[in-house]
Amino acid sequence: MKTEELIAKLAAEPAPAPAASLERRAGLGVLAGGVVAIALFFAVLGLRPDLPAHMAEPVTLMKTVLPLGLAALLLPAVMHAARPGVPLGWTAWLAVAVPVAAVALFVWAFATAAPGERLTLFIGHSIPVCLPTIPVLAMPILAGLVYALRRGAPEHPRVCGALAGLAAGGLATTTYSLFCTEDSPLFYATWYSLAILVVAGLGAWAGKRYLRW
Amino acid sequence: MTDRNERWGDLLRRANRGEAEAYARFLGEAAPVIRTIVRGRSGSETGVEDIVQEVLLAVHAKRHTWRETDPVTPWLYAIARYKSADAVRSRGRGGAQVPLDDVAERLADDSGGDPTAARDLGRLLDEIDDRSARIVRAVGVEGESAGEVGARLGMSEGAVRVAYHRAMNRLRKLAGTEDMTEETKE
Repeated sequence: MKTEELIAKLAAEPAPAPAASLERRAGLGVLAGGVVAIALFFAVLGLRPDLPAHMAEPVTLMKTVLPLGLAALLLPAVMHAARPGVPLGWTAWLAVAVPVAAVALFVWAFATAAPGERLTLFIGHSIPVCLPTIPVLAMPILAGLVYALRRGAPEHPRVCGALAGLAAGGLATTTYSLFCTEDSPLFYATWYSLAILVVAGLGAWAGKRYLRW
Repeated sequence: MTDRNERWGDLLRRANRGEAEAYARFLGEAAPVIRTIVRGRSGSETGVEDIVQEVLLAVHAKRHTWRETDPVTPWLYAIARYKSADAVRSRGRGGAQVPLDDVAERLADDSGGDPTAARDLGRLLDEIDDRSARIVRAVGVEGESAGEVGARLGMSEGAVRVAYHRAMNRLRKLAGTEDMTEETKE
């Protein structure tokens, strides 16, 4: 077929099919996945006892605030990555503050903990729960997000998927932190971060697999 | 550049309201620009027009990803870059340097001496990816033309032919391995 003929054919159908915008679909995807994750959370884990008292402690509060901030800053970047030719935007760069803050908290906790306690705090007692649970909670959110993003057209599907994974991991970790009783940054700055990176890896894989167009 | 962005933005906005003429003009003006990008990226003259058509189809299929307030050129160039890279990659992998007309002639043989005819085609089709399976069903089983299938899947006619050809090769291989496993079982 000649290119001119193709153009004539395409032009016969100028207006795009009316459909919800990419952002709206992504919002619904995250919401649907989030409902599943929260249902799972309450069915299997549940809130830690005496949650409000712990939340009043700034260092403890950070384990909820940091991953939430990561998700909030990266979700707009995910949407930008899904549109051709749109830069990621300033929120993506601001998101770098989250790992920086995590490292700072880790260093502070290391410096203030008694030398004999450091290893105990670092290892904690729930790595085998924390590491698999965060990715499991993130899975429905990531799935909902990636499903919505299939309507997009990311120039770099793997990057878009990885960003979606970081955002989904952030939301899952926010939820998980309401159950977890490990309050030292030596624990959460390490193992939460590792769990979120696992989800980012899953996202990169999903991006390569499902976001090509 | 701003000039072009304004003109193209205007044309695309009108296209989004259903003005076919504006859309045709946009695509017509974009095609030579796309051709230049594709030529620069693919590094060879063969198959350029196929890739240009792939890009135009992608622009059409993904036109909702352009926001009416965004400049058009970065969006258009990104699509052209992505599709060129994609084409170059699959050419490197599949060795599809064969001119499409040759492939088209061989396709007749493929459907005649269908390697999978005597088997459970459905089961074999489950083994390959969805899009390829749909193409094989449509072209090989229901006898649709590559053009019709392409229009439905948002692919160029040439791309459908190549995909069909590759899928048949894969099915042939799968059918072969099944023979082997059956033999070793016996």
